[in-house]
Amino acid sequence: MTAATLSAAVPKPAHVPDGAVYDFDMFADPAYCADPHERVLDLVRNAPPVFWTPRNGGHWMLLSHAAIFSAARDTESFSSEMIPMDHIKAMLAKMPPGTPHIPVVVPICVDPPAHTKYRAPLNRPFGPKAINALKDSIRALANELIDKVAARGHCEFMREIAEPLPVSVFLKMMGLPLERMGEYRELVRAHLSDPEPDPRNVVKKLWQITASMRDTLLERRAQPRDDLISLLWQTQIDGNPLTMDDMENYCALLFIAGLDTVMNGMGHGVRHLARDQALQAELRKNPQRVNDATEELLRRYTFTIPPRIVGKDLVFEGIPMKKGERVMLFLPAADLDPKEYPNPERFDLDRQNSVHIAFNAGPHRCLGSHLARVELQIIYEQMLSRLPAFRLDPSNPPAFHGGHVVGVDSLHLVWTP
Amino acid sequence: MKIRIDKAKCVGNARCAAVSAELFPLNDEGYIAVEEIDVPPGMEEAALRGARACPERIIVVEEGK
Repeated sequence: MTAATLSAAVPKPAHVPDGAVYDFDMFADPAYCADPHERVLDLVRNAPPVFWTPRNGGHWMLLSHAAIFSAARDTESFSSEMIPMDHIKAMLAKMPPGTPHIPVVVPICVDPPAHTKYRAPLNRPFGPKAINALKDSIRALANELIDKVAARGHCEFMREIAEPLPVSVFLKMMGLPLERMGEYRELVRAHLSDPEPDPRNVVKKLWQITASMRDTLLERRAQPRDDLISLLWQTQIDGNPLTMDDMENYCALLFIAGLDTVMNGMGHGVRHLARDQALQAELRKNPQRVNDATEELLRRYTFTIPPRIVGKDLVFEGIPMKKGERVMLFLPAADLDPKEYPNPERFDLDRQNSVHIAFNAGPHRCLGSHLARVELQIIYEQMLSRLPAFRLDPSNPPAFHGGHVVGVDSLHLVWTP
Repeated sequence: MKIRIDKAKCVGNARCAAVSAELFPLNDEGYIAVEEIDVPPGMEEAALRGARACPERIIVVEEGK
């Protein structure tokens, strides 16, 4: 999505020190949208480690690993309740009777202790044990997609592989009918093509998502099967069985948080592989190193930017912040911080400290991290083992987008079949 | 060699168990199940690597016991 328009700059609030201002539009910065992580490296070198940008209504950006590491744990100072739960409840209560339930994406948008309560039912199905059991079926899905393009000698990786894979895995895990793949891919695409949406459209989209699952939700409540929806019906929150509203909240969350995130991770990783023939050769020779490569790719190309809201007036890293101001945990910069990772721009399979926070730190650690790791590792393994050396298509360079998930719009690959 | 873990601060990355599932037992939800581990002889290297792998930095290895 090239040529995004910069948002208007708003005036600097009086308490923001002049030295803490840096102009960066995380949705539309031209250099960022042209080659995201090159621009992140530039920010790491040249922008203050904590700064305020006048773009997109004005907000704070945390860049250093140390700042993000401490802010992610301090949920009282840096709250996830972008709209407080009380406001949401009051708003929902004012809706005319008969309005369908508006999904609230718990547990992402609540702080502990409510966060702990709403997250608990999801921890086991997304834990390493449950996810590792899915490996074979994920590998089969990946093979199917790769084999469709192998003989052709080229593909658009995002549309043909990175997007359908997580959607198929999602449908399988949830127990949703696979023949509705087309419908779900349309919903994902609508979700992606609308990066800074109007709240009314968000609600409509959430309704479409939950409406598409309603039949299956009801069927599984009556007749459980071996899938996530059935399992969630059998769990409890505060000793009470889940309601249809709870189930719709979870479904909306898993849909929104679980699909475009991992596909963009795949895009960054496969682009790196396509530009690094020596690494491809090394990994084809030593496939057991794909595990390390997956971690280093996550570090080098961290791609999510979780928002927070300042919970009380405070001074953070010497800078005054006011209650209600928005803060971005700019994870891509944390994982390129030279204080933590010497020569951060280097992809290094043997890096001493390869422990990144691509899945964020603290209690909101990405619930889907185990699934994402498995999907990423499998897609790299299968791309390397089923295709010969692949490169970027020189006549069709990749395109990128900014936003809360900085990602890849298109990635054209070529190889000699 | 002993491992001490600030269990309450575990957020379930499970990176320690990815180094050694034997040394770092997880509960069913994928969070660390214990606060203290006596490292069996021969597993010192895995203990150190598992501790280093924790993004939350809550695993400490105490040498010489």
